[in-house]
Amino acid sequence: MSESANTAQPAVPAPFLLRRLHSLAGIIPIGAFLCIHLTTNASIVWGRLGHGGVETFQHEVNFIHSTPFLLLIEVFGLWLPIGFHAVLGFYYAFTGSSNVAHYGYGANWRYTLQRLTGYFGFIFILYHVATLRWGWTWLPFASGFDAHTAASSTAQAIQGGADTSALGGFLIGALYLIGVLALIYHLANGLWTAAITWGLTISAGAQRRWGFVCSGAGLALAALGVMAFVGFVTLDLEAARQTESRLHSEIVNADTPQIAPAVAENNTTTNQSER
Amino acid sequence: MTTATDTRTRTIKIKIKRCDGPGKPAYWQTFSVPVKRGEGANVISCLQYIAANPITDGGVATTPVAWKSGCLEEVCGACTMVINGKVRQSCSCLMDSACPNEGDTLTLEPMRKFPVIRDLFVDRTRLFESLKRVKAWVPIDNLWEQGAGPKETPDEQQTRYKLSECMSCGCCMDACPQFHQIADSAKWQTAFIGAAPISQVRYFNLHKTGATLKADRLSEMASQGGVSDCGNAQNCVKHCPKSIPLTESIAAVGRATTIHAIKQFFTGK
Repeated sequence: MSESANTAQPAVPAPFLLRRLHSLAGIIPIGAFLCIHLTTNASIVWGRLGHGGVETFQHEVNFIHSTPFLLLIEVFGLWLPIGFHAVLGFYYAFTGSSNVAHYGYGANWRYTLQRLTGYFGFIFILYHVATLRWGWTWLPFASGFDAHTAASSTAQAIQGGADTSALGGFLIGALYLIGVLALIYHLANGLWTAAITWGLTISAGAQRRWGFVCSGAGLALAALGVMAFVGFVTLDLEAARQTESRLHSEIVNADTPQIAPAVAENNTTTNQSER
Repeated sequence: MTTATDTRTRTIKIKIKRCDGPGKPAYWQTFSVPVKRGEGANVISCLQYIAANPITDGGVATTPVAWKSGCLEEVCGACTMVINGKVRQSCSCLMDSACPNEGDTLTLEPMRKFPVIRDLFVDRTRLFESLKRVKAWVPIDNLWEQGAGPKETPDEQQTRYKLSECMSCGCCMDACPQFHQIADSAKWQTAFIGAAPISQVRYFNLHKTGATLKADRLSEMASQGGVSDCGNAQNCVKHCPKSIPLTESIAAVGRATTIHAIKQFFTGK
């Protein structure tokens, strides 16, 4: 090892490379995905201005679920980058020790909050993905997500899942609201620090100006997040299910002439070969 | 101790976190010190009074408090300590503003990130090691006459002048949540280096002859404990007694290190 280390040093030192990949992963793909995700979710409210939030949201979900290689995109574009960012993030956070008790300045609080929102945000993402994507409905107050009843199943999950007591709704609602706002803070502040880390904003003035941009972006994302949250928390589940059932039957009826013969053909060939 | 006849005199309390030697437990003692208004009393003059009268507030005779000081005009950094919870030079902490009233208390602690030798006296060897780590010098030694150095523009000179004011006091490191006290000197090489040496990287890389060591300095900045370990809490710039734009230096070195790493990635050196 030591001999090879003398002759062939890595072109870019690993600690530096990992730090920069950690920074990059937080922006692309994770940060970019958060923007898309919040916009999609906010359509539950946006749609109410037009032809119905449930329909708009279902349309968005259908579009996402029609994406080719969706599972590969999820694994390599989201779950692995989030895992990478989280594992390294925990390690990096443990190398610091907050001293806001002595030095209670704004930037020092933001430094501390960046780490706290990271911890909480990761726990929230784990619960969120485990219940709504992986279907781990055995988790407390959990119910799953069904792509055919996108809005009602999402709303049910946020309203406390199968648990209809006020406690479940309150706990899960609080988890979602705080979790989403924590992650938005984490992204906005992360954009601010990343610009320093990479060396884009050098002067104190540039850092302040970029801070306004990041704050603006954070507030805009927070508005989307709160819109989506309010939209799902106040959604009438029964009415939403009826709309979804109508949408589903419309799609099935529209598709029937094209799909039915092919299915029938396949069935006959299978049956014949079995015989 | 107070003379009631002189209205300009007041008695203040100095509470000191003491320690009898490396590894020994810390303990607190409070001393009463008479101070005259308008005479420019500072923490050092109060410590001198305590050294001459080592008797605690409770009347117990004790050992004189150990501390370190040098220039007494905030340019050497030797008397740096934690005053009322925040790190700064004690020579420039004037009692007329810090403790203006009878009975006011001032709390003194040794720096938090450097090992205590005794009382308020700390070992800051690591600061010098950090400067060696980033080759904070201009290489001019040679076997023959080099002639005049490259010309510097007034603009570059102005930028570098501010950075040159660093006195290696360690305030930026003491206030930093990413910088920790490390007893084992072997681990200093890979621990976060702190703001001051990063600013020195910028300072010497801006110098045209100093820039001959630019690649070495940036490689050190890209290694474990380099500029990437900064968490952008920005306490350093708030506590620099010389108002050096440390956070700008960190960003500038971050940019230079990014470019250096990209070059390394494609050229291998």
